[in-house]
Amino acid sequence: MPEPRSGRRPLPRRAVLAAAAVGLSTALTSTLSACSTASGSTSSGVTLTFSWWGNDDRAARTEQAVRLFEKEHPGVTVRTSSGDFGAYLQKLATQAAGGGMPDVAQLDYRQVSQYAGGGALMPLDDVMKDKTIRTSEMSRDFLRTGTYKGGQYALPMGRGITGYAYDAAVYKKAGIPAPQPSWTWQDWEKANKGIAALGLKSPDGRPYTGANDGGGNEDVFETWLRSRGGKLYASQTELGFTEDDLTAFWTFCDRLRREGAIAQARDTVQANSTETSPIGRGLAAADFTWDAPFPGYPVLLGDSVHFAPVPTTDGRQGAYFKPSMLIGIGAHSEHPKEAAQLVDFLLNDQRVGDILAFSRSTPPNRKIAARVAKTLKGPEREIYEYAQTMERYGLDAPPTAPPRGDVAVQTAFIREYQRVMYGLATPRQAARELIDEANRELRS
Amino acid sequence: MSTVSTRAPARPAPATDRNPPSRRRRQVRERQWPAYVFLTPWMIGALVLTLVPMAVSLYLSFTDYNLFDPPHWVGLRNYTEMLTDDPRYWRSVGTTMLYVVVAVPLKLGLALAVATLLKNLDRGRAFYRSAFYAPSLLGASMSIALVWRALFNDGGTVSGILDSVGIHAGGWVGNPDLAVYVVVLLTVWQFGAPMVIFLAGLQQISPDLYEAAALDGAGRWRQFVSITVPMLSPVVFFNLVLEIINSFQVFTPAFVISGGKGGPADSTMFYTLYLYERGFTASHMGYAAAMAWMLLIAIAAITLILFRTSRSWVFYADEEGR
Repeated sequence: MPEPRSGRRPLPRRAVLAAAAVGLSTALTSTLSACSTASGSTSSGVTLTFSWWGNDDRAARTEQAVRLFEKEHPGVTVRTSSGDFGAYLQKLATQAAGGGMPDVAQLDYRQVSQYAGGGALMPLDDVMKDKTIRTSEMSRDFLRTGTYKGGQYALPMGRGITGYAYDAAVYKKAGIPAPQPSWTWQDWEKANKGIAALGLKSPDGRPYTGANDGGGNEDVFETWLRSRGGKLYASQTELGFTEDDLTAFWTFCDRLRREGAIAQARDTVQANSTETSPIGRGLAAADFTWDAPFPGYPVLLGDSVHFAPVPTTDGRQGAYFKPSMLIGIGAHSEHPKEAAQLVDFLLNDQRVGDILAFSRSTPPNRKIAARVAKTLKGPEREIYEYAQTMERYGLDAPPTAPPRGDVAVQTAFIREYQRVMYGLATPRQAARELIDEANRELRS
Repeated sequence: MSTVSTRAPARPAPATDRNPPSRRRRQVRERQWPAYVFLTPWMIGALVLTLVPMAVSLYLSFTDYNLFDPPHWVGLRNYTEMLTDDPRYWRSVGTTMLYVVVAVPLKLGLALAVATLLKNLDRGRAFYRSAFYAPSLLGASMSIALVWRALFNDGGTVSGILDSVGIHAGGWVGNPDLAVYVVVLLTVWQFGAPMVIFLAGLQQISPDLYEAAALDGAGRWRQFVSITVPMLSPVVFFNLVLEIINSFQVFTPAFVISGGKGGPADSTMFYTLYLYERGFTASHMGYAAAMAWMLLIAIAAITLILFRTSRSWVFYADEEGR
């Protein structure tokens, strides 16, 4: 999941309003420019709709890129709309159901199968073959993340990876070495216990713990599972793990929480941004998160917070490069050619690369990524270098896009682990319930 | 309401005796057409916005419609699945029942108590009446639910006050044992609407009855039990039916307080919220439609039972002589 609950970059109210304002103003300006271009342009007036989610910074940058596209393609007007993640997904689902999918839409990894399977997305294989959309600078493995049943339906817009934001000062105090790409889940357990043993107190007087509780986070489970050679899904209709796997994972997290080594249940439940995460509230020393939201951590907590790899099983890394978000074309678009041109422009134009920079994580186009990387400093430089390190360390290829039931499985995952945390179910009972529910979701 | 207002214009004007019957009937029919013209917007609305969607919903409840693919007929599968194979369905039923059983009596009890106090108040009655009624006007809005969430959140006002007196409950919103009571409190706080109805009912009771009872030496409590309660029973019944139907459909406060997720651990996953989750988050519109029909059947059944039992405890003054 590109912008996970536990690590999504904090989205202040102001940002939402600003984004809304930008959206509104562009809606107005694009209508106006539509009038002006209609009179003097050569090609007939084509209007594309393009929608995405994100914060105000991303909105401003995207607008700039879109204006540049309009300038280069006289007669084409791009109407944009954006919202915050949760609202966006629901709006898009309703639009798609009514056949009103935007011409170009930013998509979540979890939406690809549902939308492609439901016939809401245009297959991109032809426009890729005739080079309307160029993919030569992108990794073949990585492109696979936008495929469904062998066809390409979406293209990644950014490359993200899971990681571990931790407070190096606390680690030093507890005598724990900085996490290396080969550190193990046992090392992680020892580190958490060591930090809890320091006897530090949080601002509200409660014991300070080692990390957030990743038990309810499907991404953390996937990392753990992959580090043991497993995978979340065996196919579009089958889970790739067993009740025993999940029971083992939840028993592990549950035990650490009971022992006071990781965050308490009530703090895990209310964590939904950097500020409300245990590390953000001064309750823990670390947080499982993603690279894109990481720069928010040092801003909030100071320079001793660094970005480290997630733990491994005997040195095998479970992390993988995942699309932070993808882009696709609506199946019923009236202007598929122009839509494809816009997608290509956003992904491959060097000037757009400069404008968008890392606002959607590392650009998938290698040349653009390398060019933009030269300008990075501080935490952004750190996550770029982290990605390089992980690439050198060696990661397994990413899976294809998750099945259409995954949205429901992911929320079930959080909920069932909450039942474990509050003692309403044992890890095994919860695991059985999750698997039953997942099987129902995947079957239908 | 609507039936009354729609019938009124359709009622034929009294025909005079001079016209023969057939002509009269034609005249009546002629005079009726403007009524139907004026009714058209309402009829279109009822048809397009109520009857057709209901029929579609009934159809969808027998399909596996997921918003993207055309619906497939699956017969009773949605119904059998929810009744036999979905532990969350029954948990949501349980949560909703708990809520109805706790919130409705509390709300009506408070409404009756305050109405009784206000009835005997001479000065400032209008002020108190509006003050207590205000939450009913405001309470259904998103913003109040958000305020409520902030009050009961970890580090919010309520946990702060409780902490200061030595009760460390943390945030109620994040505690599965307490989260449902945050919603209960929000509902009970909106007791103003039934209170106003109770107040009207109380004022209908003849003061003579109280005077007579006082002469016989009945105290305040005795008067309340022997006069107020029986005389008020039709109003109690009305409020009870209304509140129970409303409570089964509680949605907004639960949606806002749990951030739309019914958490933690499904503790605020009310029936309607689960229905919404199935339909809009998990894209199982067929299942959600089936759940909606089950809710309709359940509410109809409970209302029927209430009406049946009401014969033994609701007392209508005009039935006295029968």
